[in-house]
Amino acid sequence: MKKYILKRVAISIVTLLVILLVLFLMLEFMPGSPFNDEKLTAAQKAILNKKYGLDKPMLIRFFNYIKAMLSGDFGVSYTISKNTPITSLLQTRLPISLRLGGQAILIGTVIGLILGLIAAIKHNTIFDTITTVISVLGVSLPSYVFAMALIYGLGFRLKWFPILYDVKKPFDSSIMPTISLCMFTIATVARFTRTEMLEVLGSDYMLLAESKGINSFRLIFRHALRNALIPIITVLAPLVVGLMTGSLVIEKLFSIPGIGSLLVSAIQSNDYNVVVALTFIYSLMYIGIMLIVDILYGVIDPRIRLVKGAGNE
Amino acid sequence: MIKVKKLVALFFSLVLVLSLTACSGKNTEEKTNNAGTDSPAATEGTDENAAGGNVLNVQFDVEVASLDPQIATDGTSFEVLSDVTEGLYTIDASGLPALAMAQDVQKSDDGLTYTFTLKDAKWSNGTPVTAKDFVFAWRRLVDPTVASEYSFIAEIANIKNAADIIGGKKGIEELGVTAKDDKTLEVQLDVPVPFFESLLAFPSFLPVNEDFFTNAGDSYGTSPDTILSNGAFKITSYEPAATTISLVKNPDYWDAGKVGLDGINYQVIKDSQTAMLSYQNGDLDVVTLSGEQVEQFQADTEFHNIMAGYLWYISPNQKVKGLENLNLRMALALAYDKSAIVSNILKDGSIVADFAVPTLLATGPDGKDFRETTGTYLPSDKTKAQDYWKKAQAELGIDKLTYTMIVEDTESAQNVAQFIQSEIQTTLPGITIKIETMPKKNRVERMQSGDFELGLTRWGPDYSDPMTYLDMWETGNPNNYGFWSNSDYDAIIESAKKGELALDPAKRWEALKNAEKIVMDNAVIFPVYQKGDAVMIKSGVEGIEFHSVGINRIYKDATKK
Repeated sequence: MKKYILKRVAISIVTLLVILLVLFLMLEFMPGSPFNDEKLTAAQKAILNKKYGLDKPMLIRFFNYIKAMLSGDFGVSYTISKNTPITSLLQTRLPISLRLGGQAILIGTVIGLILGLIAAIKHNTIFDTITTVISVLGVSLPSYVFAMALIYGLGFRLKWFPILYDVKKPFDSSIMPTISLCMFTIATVARFTRTEMLEVLGSDYMLLAESKGINSFRLIFRHALRNALIPIITVLAPLVVGLMTGSLVIEKLFSIPGIGSLLVSAIQSNDYNVVVALTFIYSLMYIGIMLIVDILYGVIDPRIRLVKGAGNE
Repeated sequence: MIKVKKLVALFFSLVLVLSLTACSGKNTEEKTNNAGTDSPAATEGTDENAAGGNVLNVQFDVEVASLDPQIATDGTSFEVLSDVTEGLYTIDASGLPALAMAQDVQKSDDGLTYTFTLKDAKWSNGTPVTAKDFVFAWRRLVDPTVASEYSFIAEIANIKNAADIIGGKKGIEELGVTAKDDKTLEVQLDVPVPFFESLLAFPSFLPVNEDFFTNAGDSYGTSPDTILSNGAFKITSYEPAATTISLVKNPDYWDAGKVGLDGINYQVIKDSQTAMLSYQNGDLDVVTLSGEQVEQFQADTEFHNIMAGYLWYISPNQKVKGLENLNLRMALALAYDKSAIVSNILKDGSIVADFAVPTLLATGPDGKDFRETTGTYLPSDKTKAQDYWKKAQAELGIDKLTYTMIVEDTESAQNVAQFIQSEIQTTLPGITIKIETMPKKNRVERMQSGDFELGLTRWGPDYSDPMTYLDMWETGNPNNYGFWSNSDYDAIIESAKKGELALDPAKRWEALKNAEKIVMDNAVIFPVYQKGDAVMIKSGVEGIEFHSVGINRIYKDATKK
């Protein structure tokens, strides 16, 4: 297991470097520069490029960047927040996105699992129908529709929650964004849990376990749910990254100072360092979560671990 | 069983990680709270503010990019900067320069030396505002190592040696600004600049205290502790790219008695629907409407139209075959109905542009707006356009022409472009217009390199003088996208900038009117409209001054009931 993890970590580092290199290449080919203002003269642009080292060839910039990054320096922003170190932008913005995404994932998964379990156990009853309706709605309605409905209903009409995100009241103002964000997770998890549970519950070994007289609580959580979890974790992993890295639409609607909206403005304004730093963090999180998922597979299903372990020898 | 334990352990560690991030979020929240505690108004929520009287809640649609006066380049940053900092001059309600930090000014007879005596004013840390603060800031503006994007404004002001210092040929100490003593600032110009005083109200010329700047180091301008104020307000809550910024009235401001507001809260809201709901909710007092919202609210008593300085126009590339023909350019310029564009498509208070120099931009030596005493040019006239087209067909020996117009990918620009396309194609049979959309940065890049046929573009003014538009069409100017060249025109512009005309404001003013006429008579550009902004302002809020140049909104005299 240890060897397997070490190998995976090594591969991850190489992958990250490749991602960064491709990113530098793509930014190189992106039209324009951070200094697009039509009021800048060519001489002034040259001064700016020199100041930020953008006059150097792409490969040299790439290695300089990697070197600086190893010491925790992600460079400064060129346009969004002029001359501000990216690390300080991240310090204020990343926790907000992580918190919202984390809340949405946690609540979404728990509610989704419960709904899915109820639907599977009470198959073909009214509970099952309700869950199916919720799932279909959650998957098909975009999150901004929920968000707009919440803003109008709970925020504007009833005034229960603030419409705009307020950094001084992070809990109150995170409720509506969290609900809007977790709807999709609830729907996805509920749907998969229901399908998987129905399959597992109908299998021969479950019949056998039931006939042996194992109590129903133990039967469901020890035997059925555990087997149903694998596909659920598979679909959950990309959702986790997607939510933790901030949603552009939700951030825009609630005016949340997260990193989703930051990336979009950075790309639009050629703010190279911000794009690179955020993409790096996205990749890091994605690779990290995928690693955790693979380890989780092994924990849940020993057969997966054995096969992979054997492959390593 | 062991595996179950592992699973449980993993789950709990995940929960732990999540709760840790939640905690760190809380910590930053407490920090911001602490930073604001010495200013009661800012720490209260917006509701309390509304109850407590006059703290104004204003929407921004984009974050502040910098609160360093010599680094900032955008209107949002300029607005906050001028709330908290005051330069030698400010702009009064009618758009004219008014003495601010300067108590008095002496001009030499040749117009080349200005001697300012400063007011007894203090920075918010108690140190007096001195002439050295201006010298330090202006040297930063032209310093190539600072690389200020707005250094060109010092060149426009013609401050002695500015151009050479920016070009790296001279040291910053050679800039024509000297602190004669703590309260006396002497500025030397290379040539007289008639609009020099109004230029000094521009945020790039705001003072910076050297000691404070050096102590703050790289973090200057990034938090309430690293921003010094000598203006009507001071900052109590700010961080880079913040979505909320809080200001309170500065009790040490020299004119504090006149400041009507207790503070200003800025809130960045990029979604116009959310912004309007917050306004209706009472969270905001001032909000900018998007084009599609205008129709819904324009009957409201709180609806206002504000003239902005931007001129939108089509630039024909005269290096492209056919477009060098004056009759063809005239045909194109007259072929589309401008009033339909402003009243049916934009609907935001934009006005028809039959000119190259926008209205409400500059006041002349006669005390009148430039537009008041000049004619209008190139008004839409489809019959005349057809006549010109016939002449052009004969001269060029062709029946048909196809041109591609490049347009940026914003909704309003595309709508306007499509309308112009259909108008030209129906008015001038035989001409086909194709539209190519792209991000603004690509459009600017292609137009600057001459890689286009027609381009729908805009220009915003940098200072209150027609020259901010007119020098664009000088031969060789990088923004003379169409490569038009006229030696008479160049002579007028050069003389008005640095020659004989610069010495005689009244004569210069007449010459600039003539210059505009030359540009229009030659259809160097096809003007389309001057941009208007639609804003909602809560009743009871009064005295906000809106300007189309430099600082967009000034709140010094604003009040809220």
